[in-house]
Amino acid sequence: MIRTCLSWTGSLFALLLGAGEIVAGESNLPAPSLPSEPLFSRHIVPLFGRLGCNAGACHGAVQGKNGFRLSLFGADPASDHERLRREFGGRRLNFTDPAQSLLLLKATGQVPHEGGKRLLVGGAEYQSILGWIARGAPLDPLDKSKLTGLLLTPEQQTLRPGASYRLQVLATFADGSQEDVTALSTFESRDGAVATVSLEAHVQGMGPGSAALLARFRGQPVVSRVFVPAEAKAAFPEVKEHNFIDRHVLDRLRQLHWHPAELCDDVTFLRRVSLDVTGALPPPDEIRAYSADRRADKRNRKIDELLSRPDHAALWATKFCDILKPHYREDDRFFSEGAQVRRFYEWFRTRLQENVPYDQIVERILTATSAEGRTKDEVLKELEAMALEDAAFSTDLKAYASRRTLDLYWLRPNAGGVPGTIQIAHAFLGLRLQCAECHRHPTDVWQQDDLLSFANFFMRVGRGGEKPSPAEQKQQAEETKKLTEQVKKLRDQAKAKDVAKDESDRLLAEAADLEKKAGMAARFNYLRSTFTGVAPAARASFASVSSSLGKADSKTFRLLGAATAVTPAPDQDPRELVVAWMRKTDNPYFAKAIVNRVWAHYMGRGIVDPPDDLSPLNPPTHPELLDELCRGFIASKYDLKWLHRTILVSRTYQQSSQANASSRADAAHYSRFALRRLPAEVLVDAINHATGGSETYPAVAYVPPGTRAIEVPGDAIVRSRVPASTGIQAAATSGYALELFGRPRRDSSNLCDCDREGAPSLVQGLYLAAFPDLLRKVGNPQGRAAQIVKDHADDARRIEEVFLWTLARLPTASEQRFFREHLQKSPSGQQGVEDVLWLLLNTREFLLNH
Amino acid sequence: MRHGCTSFQNLTRRDFFRIGGVGLFGLSTPSLLEARAANPRARQMIILWLGGGPPHIDMFDMKPDAPAEVRGPWKPIGTKLQGLQVSELMPNLARSADKYTVLRSVNAKGYPDEGQHGAGAAWSWLTANRRDRRSNSPKFPAYGSVLAKVRPGPADLPGFVTFGDIGRESYLGPAYEPIEFKLDDPADRLTTMLAPAPMDITALDRRTELLKSAEQHLRRLDKEEPLIAGLDRFQQQAVDLLRSPKLREAIDLKREPTKSAERYGKGAQCRRVLAARRLIEAGVPCVHVQFHGFIGWDFHGGQGTFAKAVQLISEFDTACAALLEDLEQRGLLDSTIVYAGGEMGRSPKPESTVGSRNHWNDAQSILVAGGGFRRGCVVGATDKNGAYVTDKHYTVASLGRTFYELLGIDADQELYTPDKRPVKIVGEDAPLIQEALA
Repeated sequence: MIRTCLSWTGSLFALLLGAGEIVAGESNLPAPSLPSEPLFSRHIVPLFGRLGCNAGACHGAVQGKNGFRLSLFGADPASDHERLRREFGGRRLNFTDPAQSLLLLKATGQVPHEGGKRLLVGGAEYQSILGWIARGAPLDPLDKSKLTGLLLTPEQQTLRPGASYRLQVLATFADGSQEDVTALSTFESRDGAVATVSLEAHVQGMGPGSAALLARFRGQPVVSRVFVPAEAKAAFPEVKEHNFIDRHVLDRLRQLHWHPAELCDDVTFLRRVSLDVTGALPPPDEIRAYSADRRADKRNRKIDELLSRPDHAALWATKFCDILKPHYREDDRFFSEGAQVRRFYEWFRTRLQENVPYDQIVERILTATSAEGRTKDEVLKELEAMALEDAAFSTDLKAYASRRTLDLYWLRPNAGGVPGTIQIAHAFLGLRLQCAECHRHPTDVWQQDDLLSFANFFMRVGRGGEKPSPAEQKQQAEETKKLTEQVKKLRDQAKAKDVAKDESDRLLAEAADLEKKAGMAARFNYLRSTFTGVAPAARASFASVSSSLGKADSKTFRLLGAATAVTPAPDQDPRELVVAWMRKTDNPYFAKAIVNRVWAHYMGRGIVDPPDDLSPLNPPTHPELLDELCRGFIASKYDLKWLHRTILVSRTYQQSSQANASSRADAAHYSRFALRRLPAEVLVDAINHATGGSETYPAVAYVPPGTRAIEVPGDAIVRSRVPASTGIQAAATSGYALELFGRPRRDSSNLCDCDREGAPSLVQGLYLAAFPDLLRKVGNPQGRAAQIVKDHADDARRIEEVFLWTLARLPTASEQRFFREHLQKSPSGQQGVEDVLWLLLNTREFLLNH
Repeated sequence: MRHGCTSFQNLTRRDFFRIGGVGLFGLSTPSLLEARAANPRARQMIILWLGGGPPHIDMFDMKPDAPAEVRGPWKPIGTKLQGLQVSELMPNLARSADKYTVLRSVNAKGYPDEGQHGAGAAWSWLTANRRDRRSNSPKFPAYGSVLAKVRPGPADLPGFVTFGDIGRESYLGPAYEPIEFKLDDPADRLTTMLAPAPMDITALDRRTELLKSAEQHLRRLDKEEPLIAGLDRFQQQAVDLLRSPKLREAIDLKREPTKSAERYGKGAQCRRVLAARRLIEAGVPCVHVQFHGFIGWDFHGGQGTFAKAVQLISEFDTACAALLEDLEQRGLLDSTIVYAGGEMGRSPKPESTVGSRNHWNDAQSILVAGGGFRRGCVVGATDKNGAYVTDKHYTVASLGRTFYELLGIDADQELYTPDKRPVKIVGEDAPLIQEALA
């Protein structure tokens, strides 16, 4: 066990404490105790926290409870002290007879207390408070008692089920003193099935697994981890590590006595990796060729090949749209426009295709400007090209994709200011700051000022474009009028009786050209008034919020987690400071956020899970693995392909999804491949792949017919409910399926990766079994089933083909027998093959990546 | 006039708290809650949503003594409940006034989008929470979604059905969203899936049969995985739904005897109410009827306002009265909550033309019946012009807590958003509307 510990950070500490595996009994730490002369801010306020008095549901609520308010988790001891002493006619504290203080009478339930009996008369906690009141309830000097460090020991511990040990919380204060504050802290286990922890800091092993243990002192959290191994029934199997990922994963599994699954077979691997890397099923030819390939390194070759396909860039452009949410709201006209959302997507796809390093991609988003340092003429030329594309409903929006920066990010409503900052923290740092907008985050470490001071870096982004001068407007109006008149005249001429057919066609074509020109001019003016605005504003403005809880603002620039403020130079875009901070190799969030998200994409869960919650209160399952991946990613110069490849070649990724008897209980330690339902777009594409179907899109989607669902960006055009004001018709058939299978809204009002829904539902089951459009695809006379019947006369071969197009594997002997029987019974080969196709679309195997 | 309900013996929320009050807030004695959940008074629920703001002064809160412009163009008529008068446009509901309770003192003052048609206003009434689309408030689920989550119904029926779009999303996720039928749309996706043409039924039967027999021959993925178990469950349910005639027949209104169907009225909206009754009969736990769309009950001035008011109120009268009668006759009224109302009331004074009234958020009327509500009861009162509540004021949180109380669901129970934020079913503490309980 010690050998395993050595590879962990913090293991040295564990060794020093003598923390090997605890088999039975418990450690010999003394029982937690309270000081004889407690200080208000150091001891009494934390006691309120431990007793639950200042929780959000009780007196810590914004309006307090029943006329008594405490600051949430004791964040503000001075005001708590003030309220205790002065409010309620001073009856809360009784200095002549401390035991008659209302504070104690209520808490002990001697007078009716809605919160119930929280305190035992005569108990240690009671005596502490009583003594403090008897000494005149003094307020200690707060600056000396400021918390500077908090340590929870042992940081890691291995424990048998039924065995137990005690945690210890050590606090360091601003005056340099250190104190055991175990008796003043609260404890929580993040997984009660693995271990429980009592109020007395007693940890008890329950069942196999690992769990984070959380202690809180004065609202500040600190985390440790406990491992409870399963019973070791057999020797751990010999497995070959592919790279460092496997070393970390196997070390942990070895420690927990969970055996890893076998490697999956080659055909399963091909289907899995194709779906995960390119969002597409492999066609039969590719499956056959791959099966026949005898080279030892064929998996790694396939990974490299798939990573270089355009579909890989398309899939991840979609993923980045999930995260960055180019759509705003349905009632927002600008961003409901298919063209803008598509440009946003295409910009990403192009960058990913070029494999631009991730830090540079982020830099080009966060410090985007409309002009990018170019002359006005160059910018206008770009807009002209865009206007032309828009007016022609081009399906190839090239002009924007070649820009260096993504100023569209900043053109979305709410991209700047406090809401925009919350999104930036979520998208690029994996943090959830929503709650800190109005108050101290109740379940995280963030204070409102952390958010507001960080928001100040993004308060100076100008928007709003260049409005044409009145003279220009007048001139444009006249031109448009002239063009419109000309169009009308041409059309009238074409309609006249004595005009020959080809002359009439010529006139109509000319009219259409002119009309396009008029449309383009209008688009150009619109784009110019919108697309030229993103630039650092000269005027400083500062972040402020006002809510029902009051107003707050900040006038300093402070990076998240930094203790001190910085001052941007007067001519500097403050956003650059943020990017520079993100790029520091010791940035605690930037690399981790993307590494963890990519990991979660391939492994089904984040090393920190949920993957967009890198809170210190949500510790990773494999911290050393996450660190090593981040270090490698930074060393590769933020090469996303390195990251993808490193994860994909690992044995951990290539395991079977079948659990073995020893690791059935595991859900978080990668003892097998995690099953997941295909994402909505991938599923729609897979159905089309299997049935030979395709989708058509309305012109406003700006995509060519037959485009794969994975390449259709944004949200509006594929939702079946679209307001008429957007002028967008609901897309033909895929819209319903995409909505049903949980395609995210990509709308910044919902900042959570969980916006993409992977859960099964009843209507999904109905859809696959009976949706008319899907049945039509299955029975399409030009579709897959018909083609297979035409190409192959032999039943066995027909069944093989249906299996390859749907499940991407050959049928087993038993399957072959069963379906051959069905085909023989069927009145026609066509009907029989359609039945098999329908049936395979309705299997779990089709619906899942496994 | 107000019928205080003295027989009410149930424990109040505070009592629960005192009995179970050893721990943190919201913890009550489990056995009490379990007993309540095991034997709830209401098992099903129908919502007739009168979106837009029905005119309380022209329906259930007549003011015959108010100035002419306030009392409006319609006369009051007596009802089976002594002391209650309703509009002459509602003769049927007048005759069945011994079946329902009128709430005259519940409103959504201070809730999102108050006094407007915004989604927030409707959500206040349909979720009993402050669901605001402009802030980060959780996407609170509608009553039906909570029911589907906390107390799912029969396996071969959906848990929550709507007629009309109410914005289905909630933090509970798609599994608990309602399924929406579009009765008047011949191309309705759900209907076409569930009620295919006879030839398709043969194919479907053949295929689902094949699917069943294939199970033992197909290579199986790990059955014990929770995801597989979930998919299995939903596929089983989908196949059950497709093969079971229950739902298909319930939404097939041609099966209803003509005479019976006609009692609901002729309009498309009345047919929705009929379909709702048929679904409740089949066993669907919650049915929501959008009675004239999202803002049909909006009566600003202008040509046609008067006629529209006559039409809507009359349609509601026939459909709602027929519904109550049928539920009663089938023995379902005692276990089925019927809730009819909109997001606000309408102004005492006309906006312009006769029959028009402006938005009004200070007073409105709600009809509740069945499932443990009193039969023949009026709760609360408004002033002489029907402008402000003068007695027994309650909020939508009270209304919601009362529904959940009758449904045997602890409104303080915490459900989880996808990002693991615990949210109480009804966020605000509020007293039950005890006067309305049988």
